[in-house]
Amino acid sequence: MLQEDVHKYLKTFFDENDSPVLEESPGHLHIQLSVDMDKALMNRPFYWQYLEKIGGVPNPWKMTVVTDENAAPEDINKRYERKAEAIHFGSPRLHQVFNLTKELGSHVRMYEKVARNNLSVQSLPLQPWLNMNMKISYEAEKKRDRLFSVGLCLTNGEMIEGFYNHLKFYPLEPEIPDYCFTVSPLIRPVSGVERIREQTERLIRQENHTWAEEAFAKMREDIELLRGFYSDSEELPDSYHSEKEAIERQYSPVVTISVINGGLFYLHQHPLNVKRFRQHW
Amino acid sequence: MNMPELSFDRTWSDSFSSRLSQNGPWSNWNLFRLALQAEQHLVINDFDGLEAPKHLPHLSIFPHQLEAAERVLTEMNGKAILADEVGLGKTIEAGLILKEYMIRGLVKKVLILVPASLVTQWCSELNSKFFIPAVEQRKSYVWESCDVIVSSIDTAKREPHRSVIYEQDYDMIIIDEAHKLKNKNTKNYQFVRGLKKKFCLLLTATPVQNKLSEVFHLISILKPGHLGNEEGFTKEFKDADQHEELRQLVQKVMIRNRRSDSAMDWPKRIVKTVEIEFSDEEMELYNAVTALKRRWNKTHEWSIFPFTVLTLQRECCSSREAVYMTLKGLLEQEEMAPALKTELEGIMEMVQNVTRHAKAEKALEMVQKIDDKVIIFTEYRATQLYLQWYFAQHGIKAVPFRGGFKRSKKDWMKQLFKDRAQVLIATEAGGEGINLQFCHHMINYDLPWNPMRIEQRIGRIHRLGQEQDVNIYNFSVQNTVEDHILRTLYQKIGLFEEVIGKLDDILEKMREEELETHISNILNHSESDGEVRIKLENLTACIESGNEEVESRAAGGRA
Repeated sequence: MLQEDVHKYLKTFFDENDSPVLEESPGHLHIQLSVDMDKALMNRPFYWQYLEKIGGVPNPWKMTVVTDENAAPEDINKRYERKAEAIHFGSPRLHQVFNLTKELGSHVRMYEKVARNNLSVQSLPLQPWLNMNMKISYEAEKKRDRLFSVGLCLTNGEMIEGFYNHLKFYPLEPEIPDYCFTVSPLIRPVSGVERIREQTERLIRQENHTWAEEAFAKMREDIELLRGFYSDSEELPDSYHSEKEAIERQYSPVVTISVINGGLFYLHQHPLNVKRFRQHW
Repeated sequence: MNMPELSFDRTWSDSFSSRLSQNGPWSNWNLFRLALQAEQHLVINDFDGLEAPKHLPHLSIFPHQLEAAERVLTEMNGKAILADEVGLGKTIEAGLILKEYMIRGLVKKVLILVPASLVTQWCSELNSKFFIPAVEQRKSYVWESCDVIVSSIDTAKREPHRSVIYEQDYDMIIIDEAHKLKNKNTKNYQFVRGLKKKFCLLLTATPVQNKLSEVFHLISILKPGHLGNEEGFTKEFKDADQHEELRQLVQKVMIRNRRSDSAMDWPKRIVKTVEIEFSDEEMELYNAVTALKRRWNKTHEWSIFPFTVLTLQRECCSSREAVYMTLKGLLEQEEMAPALKTELEGIMEMVQNVTRHAKAEKALEMVQKIDDKVIIFTEYRATQLYLQWYFAQHGIKAVPFRGGFKRSKKDWMKQLFKDRAQVLIATEAGGEGINLQFCHHMINYDLPWNPMRIEQRIGRIHRLGQEQDVNIYNFSVQNTVEDHILRTLYQKIGLFEEVIGKLDDILEKMREEELETHISNILNHSESDGEVRIKLENLTACIESGNEEVESRAAGGRA
């Protein structure tokens, strides 16, 4: 993640969370935190508890982040009331913001903003789609992940992989547009989740799992060595069993599927035919 | 068919269905997009390779450290002995490996066991350099409530901590100065052996190849069975012939970078021998002590004491205070032959008559001339105290440093040295683990007879992060045991020289204690200086032939 990306990310994040940027340079952001953001990021629960008790006027802090020291104002450390924080990809603060984003951006319900150019046309139908964006992790003594996005049409069961890549080209809004109606789903959204899970698991089972075979082989090898270590003792001691357990814990291959976020999308155009215009974001 | 287990996390689907039934709340679309964007940055597409450096843009990581971390992850499955030579940054390697596992989500619960004096340093390095929220063990509840804990073994092995720790399933255990765990009968060893762990890093600066049982026990902490069972191991590796095979086995779990291999520009070591001439009184004392040897050393009257004349001789070279302490102890013994007692009392009187101290004078002169931070190492506590007092008399601030100091006191002393005092006077036991890169001058006030310890002393200042050349001054009193050791042995084998890594070769030929014993024997059992010289030369030759063997083996391996 480049520092410019970090900058852009934080700017959008605070903007979307009612925390306006008061001052900005290519290397820094000075932000007025909202009450919620102060509570989430500033770690001062006693202040907020106290304030609620006495019913005082909240005074959320301002926060300054530096994304590029060289492009920030020279007096950055004295310019504001509170100390500026340097933020880069590895800094705990950014990861805190990442986690907060995931919490705040977990479930959506959006409608396609239909551009109606002909008023005489009847109300337009919007098809319900269920989207789930998942992280699939392959884990033994090593680990890798991949992202997997799926969309399921809740009226006919059509499933599209890489759904998010289509979704991002739609103009969307949170309220249903005028003169549109939603087609009622034949598949309940909750069953839709199950369908997507089953399909994802089926696909994973069909993958090549050499990595898991290798992990099993290493596990067997280490357990074999462990057995050799205790080959003098007549009965295997407790330590053998707990060490064996630790080896199994280390190598046992497991694939975990976790949903990053997802939601319901009511779409007029079919995702595979959506007009691909350049997004302004 | 070996299928991995599949597990689907239902957290999201559960809250999705509750939002469906309550008709919301629904998230903001832009935050939804940002969340995916964050994941795209965080996703790790490959099993191998290092992610950690991307997270640590401010840390300068050397190529040998990156390579070490990568090998531990890909070839060693996260179980390794990190045995780089002193000063090459093993802590950085360990931090890098830990960080990588934490980023990948393979490690969460970590126990880091280090000498008490290093707890604070480890903690602050992990936090400031690696952004790993490591916590010092201060209260007993941290074992359960915190994920990354730094503690000393001595604390951890005691109740009530011990049983709580045994209940934890650790993902990773890191042990610094692991060579202290070589004896399987110690409580520390057994404690560590019983810890539950997935991954494990053992850090040590001592090469282990040749100490067979120690290798075995160290590796048994890491990976029991890697060298078979104990009985089989002892049988199989009895002869030197099998050492190559053993070496290969050990190399599968050990990384040892040497300074000579690393492509870095090391600051130079400038080594100077400072010869000192005893004052007349000191010479007289030294001669009287030496004379004891001829008369008493091999007799029964003497042998009941745990001291040798050699000890006294070495102490004479250090300070009269050091001799005094030993003599005093001797004279308190009750079953001493009266003739011996009289003689020792005579020597005691001579000790008290010594007024000038040539070595201390020289040290003072050097410290004043250097006009910069100086660390002085001595083997004797009495000397340490004396020097501190002596320097104070001349308006020079010196702080002491000893192994026995509490953790907080060590930190405090180090800070005092950095900010306020010109001199730090350390005894041997205080040598390990303090990093004093801000200091460029070291005086070996007296020399230990174990080359590993000399290397450890030098490693305090000649290490990664040292930006200037390092000056090492070896003090040696003319015509004494010190003189022999320094000139005939250490200088000939090039112990202090730039060609580092030589120490490994010496130790590969001979155990470190063995070398110490050889030296003592030679000095103890020789009738004349000439004999001492010849015997030491033989020892030197023996060590050097070892080097050739090692070199030719290395060359053969390359061809």
